[in-house]
Amino acid sequence: MRFLDLLGMSVNNLRRRKLRTALTVLGVVIGTASVVVMVSLGIGLNGLMMEMYSSYGSMTSITVYSDGGRYFYSDSGSSAKEEENFLTDDTMAQFRRLDHVKAVSPVLSTDAILRQGLYETNTNIEGVSREFLEEIPLGEGQIPEEGSTELKFIYGNAIIRWFRNSKTGVGFWDGEPPDIDFMNKPMFVIFDTNAYYQSRSGSSEGGNVKPPKKYMIEAAGVVEGTADDYNNYSYSVYAEIEALKAQLKRIYKKNPIPGQPTNKKGKPYPYFIYNQAVVFVDDTANVTAVQQMITDMGFQANSQMEWIEQSQQTYDIIQLVLGGIGAVSLFVAAIGIANTMMMSIYERTKEIGVIKVLGCDLGNIRNMFLLESGFIGFIGGVIGVTISYGIGFAMNNFLGIAQAMTGMAGDISRIPLWLGASAIVFAIFVGMAAGFFPSLRAMHLSPLAAIRNE
Amino acid sequence: MAIPIIQVKNLYKIYKVGDTKVYALHGVDFEIYKGEFCAIVGPSGSGKSTLLNMLAGLEKPSKGEIVIDKVHIEHMTENQLVEFRRKRVGFIFQSYNLLKTLNAVENVALPLSFRGVPKKKRNAIAEKYLKLVGLEKQMKHMANAMSGGQQQRVGIARALAVNPRIIFADEPTGNLDSKTTMEILKLMRRIVREQQQTLIMVTHDNHLASYADRLFHIVDGKIFKIEQMHHEDDDLEENEHENKMEESPDSVDGGPDGSRDDSGHTDDGQGAAIG
Repeated sequence: MRFLDLLGMSVNNLRRRKLRTALTVLGVVIGTASVVVMVSLGIGLNGLMMEMYSSYGSMTSITVYSDGGRYFYSDSGSSAKEEENFLTDDTMAQFRRLDHVKAVSPVLSTDAILRQGLYETNTNIEGVSREFLEEIPLGEGQIPEEGSTELKFIYGNAIIRWFRNSKTGVGFWDGEPPDIDFMNKPMFVIFDTNAYYQSRSGSSEGGNVKPPKKYMIEAAGVVEGTADDYNNYSYSVYAEIEALKAQLKRIYKKNPIPGQPTNKKGKPYPYFIYNQAVVFVDDTANVTAVQQMITDMGFQANSQMEWIEQSQQTYDIIQLVLGGIGAVSLFVAAIGIANTMMMSIYERTKEIGVIKVLGCDLGNIRNMFLLESGFIGFIGGVIGVTISYGIGFAMNNFLGIAQAMTGMAGDISRIPLWLGASAIVFAIFVGMAAGFFPSLRAMHLSPLAAIRNE
Repeated sequence: MAIPIIQVKNLYKIYKVGDTKVYALHGVDFEIYKGEFCAIVGPSGSGKSTLLNMLAGLEKPSKGEIVIDKVHIEHMTENQLVEFRRKRVGFIFQSYNLLKTLNAVENVALPLSFRGVPKKKRNAIAEKYLKLVGLEKQMKHMANAMSGGQQQRVGIARALAVNPRIIFADEPTGNLDSKTTMEILKLMRRIVREQQQTLIMVTHDNHLASYADRLFHIVDGKIFKIEQMHHEDDDLEENEHENKMEESPDSVDGGPDGSRDDSGHTDDGQGAAIG
């Protein structure tokens, strides 16, 4: 028998009993819609979380610390082994050679005092590589041009909070926003903070300490966002590392640079030792592996992936629970289909017998009923998915559920194409599975029932 | 007529009711030849329906052989039997058993669809056979919008449409009034002649059975008597009949032709006029 003829007969039979078919389909509609909506909520929550994490900073970057922690202590007990664990240009080269590593940036921190007009603050300048600078989302300006040796700063959008009026001591927190314009007014920077404070405290100790030199540093850009927004780059001042190194060498000449560790004799090392390094990985999937390799090299490393993986597990469980709740109603719908098919076969006992006498193949009879129940699943699945899209749209646009539940803006219900498509396929499968035993029963009905005369 | 299309040898069907055995068929032997119109006649409970069911492969015999078209069917599986019926057998039912959701053409084309015949082709065949049974005006009627006689005509067309080797008819006129009964009976006989078909009809009515070429009287599961009938003037009558059909198909009754039987039944009244 041809497939189209089979399908025609099945659909014809469904059309014969419109109300019963409609009710059975309704069950599948509710079942499919609840599964899809529940899973879409799980996907939505997961997506919101990922968006939140990525707003905190790059998800593919790993921050590396040397074993000694963030700060170095130039104590006498430091052994040779620790020395090996310094983050130096050599280590950067090692990291760069690892698989899946896209770029490596050392981070060189140094304290500095920033001053513009009456306002001043003591803050941390971080020298980073060009690749790092390129990751920073800028609200104004742009990163220094390649090859330029001039030191320029990129200011975090929340840096303005730290500035205080040097005369009155009033700052951002006292309700007086400092009158600072990073981009257009000159900023004076004092790198030798120790000398600065000594010169300020006056004659108490060593008498006259000459106030250190002030440098005027141009701004290259400001991180996007207002002073109240937060992202990974909000509270730092960034500079291109080679320019920063050159500047520091000019200032301190042969003297030890503050923050740089010294050897047993109290002498600085002839090369720069970095406080941190940032390793950029090509894909989120490889972050954990690269992080493990760096840890094995004897460094401390952390990345957003650690947190993401943990919360991903939580969300997976949430998704499973939500999907399970939906699946219960689909299961009930499957029982409904099985029941409908059973009734239909009882009603059509005679008809099935007749077509058997007329020579309809047994497999064809089974397929006819399988198609019928599969068709119920298909129609229910299509309507259910359509309704799910409607419900999702309503939840995203009118109810503000995402805001209420997570405090984040964004779509709480997300139905990717694969979810919709697989929901329909699954509904067809459920329909056919529910119709399987009834169809076997139909296949094995006796043809004698047909010629029994009532 | 030398080749038997059906051979039945020593056929038994035994039902067990509790501890006692009931012999529905108790050793039946006969042969039926191609182109014959045979009637199996007997009182109810005589085993005639059981015999027909076994010939059509709907029931399995307890013992014995059934050879149809040189093939043994007594040991076939259910699947093989379905295939056997699809390819070789047409069936006419007492209660017509048309599919209510289909119209006349679709009903006749149904067994062809089981053979995988494309829709266009099978509908053309169905229309041809519906014309043959005189239903050219009712082709698109739904099954339950037709009278009993019309439904049985559709049933006959359905049995013929697959061009089977044998047609079985189980009390084909059991649900019809006497006038329609005659119409249907004449129609079946005419078509069997024209198409060179083999028809085996089961009935409990001796008079109806007398329209057949041969009668198998069956009593208590055994063949009691085989009667050869002679319908000498049939061909002539059938020709007359056909001419009349063309003129006014609906007005043609079994009446005038039914008279020339040797059995001597004259229920119709008109029979006397010719006799």
